[in-house]
Amino acid sequence: MLVLSRQRDESIMIGDNIVITIVDIRGDKVRLGINAPTEIPVHRQEVYEAIQRENLRASRLEPKDTRGLGSGKEVRGRRPEAREE
Amino acid sequence: MQIRTTRFGPLEVEPEDLIRFANGLPGMEDCKHWVLLADAETSALGWLQCTSRAEVALAVVSPRRFVPNYQFRVYRSELAPLELDDVKDAQVLVVVGKNDRAITLNLKAPVVINLQRRLGRQVVANGDQPLCYELAHTPAPLKKSA
Repeated sequence: MLVLSRQRDESIMIGDNIVITIVDIRGDKVRLGINAPTEIPVHRQEVYEAIQRENLRASRLEPKDTRGLGSGKEVRGRRPEAREE
Repeated sequence: MQIRTTRFGPLEVEPEDLIRFANGLPGMEDCKHWVLLADAETSALGWLQCTSRAEVALAVVSPRRFVPNYQFRVYRSELAPLELDDVKDAQVLVVVGKNDRAITLNLKAPVVINLQRRLGRQVVANGDQPLCYELAHTPAPLKKSA
């Protein structure tokens, strides 16, 4: 991993068009300003990890757990019992 | 082709039924091919079943049915791989979960599908969206006693 030392208001550039600026440093908290093209997603890592965990938890759901959702707008999927010829 | 599923038994699926998630889903990066099934009992519910792992299936619903004002924003790059001609053509589903209190919906990471091209992706919505939005239990309607 590349490690760079920066002070407040200093920046690093990633490629031609991503600029990360140290906006503020207070104790153990660093505020970063990120300037990137809109097509580059920027997410906190813990958000992505939380989604991973939630997906794994949700993948253990069984049909019986979902009773209580009631009827509503149909999800356009295949009926599992329908066999195609 | 026939696929094995732990919840629904063996299923016969046509190649055109498959939906490809090029990156898999977060936590299931190896699951690239899925099929969308309608739940046998609950019309609002579908199941995204992984075709390569029998035990992996996610319950999904259309979020607007349960959260009428749900809107989300994503970076353009999140949707680009779906090759949508028009964003309005996308089918948006959210993953159903369950905690100790209620059935939950993952409004932070909706699943977006281009049904025409059979491409899907779970995107990360910008801003504050709950990962576990709890659905309120609908109380049984009270009957007038007199």
